Amino acid sequence: MTENFLEIDNVTFAASDKNKVSNVSLNIENEGDVICLLGPSGIGKTTILRTIAGLEKVQSGKIILKKQIISSKDTHIEPENRNISLSFQDNCLFPHYNVIQNIEFGAARNMKKKKDLSIEEVVKFLHLDHIVDKFPHEISSGEAQRASLARSLLSKPDLLLLDEPLSNVDQSFKEEIQVKLKKVLNELKITTIIVTHDSYEAFYLGSKCGIILNGQLRQYDDPYNVYHFPNSAEVVNFLNRGILIPAKVTGENSLENQDLGTIKGNFIKHYPKGSDVQLLLQPEDLEHDDRSNLKLEVVDRKFRGTNFIYTLKTLSNLLIPVFVHSHHMHQHEIDEKFGIKRPINIDHIVCF
Amino acid sequence: MKIKKINFWYLTSFIISFAVAIPIITVFSSFFETTTNYSLILRDTFLYDYIYNSFILLIGVLLLTFVLGVGCAYIVSFYYFPGVNFFKWALILSFAVPAYIYAYSLTAFFENYGTAFSILKNVFGENDYNSLIPKFDGMLGAIISISFSLFGYVYVLTRASFHYQSQNLIELGKNLGFSKKKSFFKIILPSARPAIIGGLSLVAMETLSDFGSVSFFGVSTLTTGIYNAWISFDDLVLANRLSFYLLIFILGLFILENFSRKKAQYHLPSKGGFKSKVPITLSGQKSFLAFMFCFIIFFISFLFPVFQMLYWTIIFPKHFMDLNINQLFLNTILLVFLSFCFLISLAFISNYGNRVSRSKFLESLTAFSVSGYAIPGIILAVAFITFVSWFDNTVISFFKVNTIKSIFIGSILGLVLVYFIRFYSLAYNGIKSGYLKINYSIDESSYLLGYSKFKTFTKIHIPYLKNSIFLIGILISIEIIKELPITLIMRPFNFETFATTAYIFASQDLLEAAAAPSLLLILIASVFILVTSKYILKD
Repeated sequence: MTENFLEIDNVTFAASDKNKVSNVSLNIENEGDVICLLGPSGIGKTTILRTIAGLEKVQSGKIILKKQIISSKDTHIEPENRNISLSFQDNCLFPHYNVIQNIEFGAARNMKKKKDLSIEEVVKFLHLDHIVDKFPHEISSGEAQRASLARSLLSKPDLLLLDEPLSNVDQSFKEEIQVKLKKVLNELKITTIIVTHDSYEAFYLGSKCGIILNGQLRQYDDPYNVYHFPNSAEVVNFLNRGILIPAKVTGENSLENQDLGTIKGNFIKHYPKGSDVQLLLQPEDLEHDDRSNLKLEVVDRKFRGTNFIYTLKTLSNLLIPVFVHSHHMHQHEIDEKFGIKRPINIDHIVCF
Repeated sequence: MKIKKINFWYLTSFIISFAVAIPIITVFSSFFETTTNYSLILRDTFLYDYIYNSFILLIGVLLLTFVLGVGCAYIVSFYYFPGVNFFKWALILSFAVPAYIYAYSLTAFFENYGTAFSILKNVFGENDYNSLIPKFDGMLGAIISISFSLFGYVYVLTRASFHYQSQNLIELGKNLGFSKKKSFFKIILPSARPAIIGGLSLVAMETLSDFGSVSFFGVSTLTTGIYNAWISFDDLVLANRLSFYLLIFILGLFILENFSRKKAQYHLPSKGGFKSKVPITLSGQKSFLAFMFCFIIFFISFLFPVFQMLYWTIIFPKHFMDLNINQLFLNTILLVFLSFCFLISLAFISNYGNRVSRSKFLESLTAFSVSGYAIPGIILAVAFITFVSWFDNTVISFFKVNTIKSIFIGSILGLVLVYFIRFYSLAYNGIKSGYLKINYSIDESSYLLGYSKFKTFTKIHIPYLKNSIFLIGILISIEIIKELPITLIMRPFNFETFATTAYIFASQDLLEAAAAPSLLLILIASVFILVTSKYILKD
């Protein structure tokens, strides 16, 4: 029998034929680990959570939690007997109870369990103090989502499933809640699976991230690797944090692009000399240098607070993103020329 | 069907729905049985009249209830004028007046030498006023009686729909440059269509199964045909077959409406976009007209029959003194209490069973069983007696045990069981409409918090639906207080209610004696309505 805390072994998740995720295998090794699942809308992420929670049955494979099979073709433990809590994306508070009563429903479960978390603490960190006496129809969807999260946290589950937990939460609270949520989950060792479409949220909260695309789990790795070492062009396109440009391998650690010239770095995978490849170029791979003779035209500039992302057009009409610190003195306007430091050195070269 | 699916809730729901469906199946099975020669005679003689009269009655009642119900709902929802808050609930008091009592009042007031004659004589002196007083009898009398008694269904449902219409819709009309008239016909009325159709459907079913008023006015409809086939010609199969035609007729209306609606939706989720309506304050002549419109309808539908019955009760006190009011009251309340408990608990369990089982088969069976509401009370009672007799003669006699006929026929239990079949649809659909407001993820949240299905039912659903249950329970109680044909057929010997007492006097042409029980019936029903008016108007 497995030693993992949760093991999903070759499971096909399907609520309908449309959103089917096939042959998924992933493990959560230790109690208290938090993983995130990322994927486009309607791909079946929620179905995965619902199936793990026991609200849907598996089509094949098995799910093992704490060394016990909870779902397989022959076994189905009812949701109420799993001690798994799912916080739904949409408001699912009991409409006839006020916020605090709803939260108390969670606290009433597993009261004897050790994980220490008081109602007051949760109410405070999720900014629910001012709405505890209100009924679900009197609060906003973001507040309802936080109340639902509070209820789930307080139920002290073996496994917590969060479906887009902060999607309706105001940006002003979001980062603060993310920080506190991470702290609470770590301190109380609550094993959690979070479904989100926000890659930054996933990279921050999850010790591992799963990317679900086209009905399959495409990559399951730690956030750094998912970002820097995506395992397919599909993952690159989904994360939208870089572009693929054509290049030719010219040596052990170099390649050549028609517009950018020689690019040096460490290949993470060997390609024979002369191979035509698609090189992953991420915004931080190129450095700005006004003195460089490699100048490209600025077609767009996005201000992101801490940085700018410039979009540059090459002679062959490739659009390349470049990261520049926002305190950089020399700002460039659209249509101006933008210098790129040469020779181009990339820490790790990812090609397809 | 997977064996796994058969759990406690599924099984209970199945048994309840199946039990309710038995008399309906009996009606349907009549199609395969042979009838007496009366069916041929009927086909060549009165059948056309029955169908024609039923159709005319239905059209007349639908038109009148539409105008009265939608008109009142519109005025009290969209305008503010003196008395509007009073009329909002006063207009539902018409529920307390059964069509047959309305028919007695109408006749009593307008007949030769009736109340109208007496009033004119007292005011203007002796004269031949009979020729001047209009006569509301026959088909016209039936249409008026049934319409004023039933328009409340259309009023309540349409008003609720108007109440929940967002002000945004009205403002959208203004924004598009619509006149008030155009806004009404293009936006307000169409968006209330399901509610109006819902109300009219109830009216249609009640009209087609009405027995008391049509028999009083001597209008031959399919219902009276059914009664005649059974009572006069002892042809139960033909009676069932006529009921079957009636069912098909009603089913046809539903299909037609559903088909014409196609995929149109008539409401949007109010989340975030709902804006309460601001009624327009009327003044001067417009305010007076609005007031008079509501007052006249309130007067005709409620005050008029009450005054008429009160008038007779006062001028013929002997009939009042002769009534065993305590016994009638206890009998009526006993039936109400037993039926309430029986209907609500079983309809609730059945609803929950359907919800957790999510079985298409169970859903279809339930949909079939709730069609009992469209079957006239008479035929349900007859079908029930038929089934019990068959069961007794075959199954019970096979096991050579005592007959069960006396337990179910001419007993309180039998009476309550037939009420159960008749009003199951009302209880089931009422609770279902409450359930539709509970998102399924609420149940799932409960399971995920460790609550079993039973605990979810008791801790989440019952507290949430308690207002709906209370409201439905009261509506059922009102229906049972007014119910006539089933009580007449199924009641134990010498067991009378206000409704049966009034009917027995009226059928003997002793309208003045029918006044006191009718008045008491209206008063009790009114109390029930007043208790729930807040919920009726809200839901």
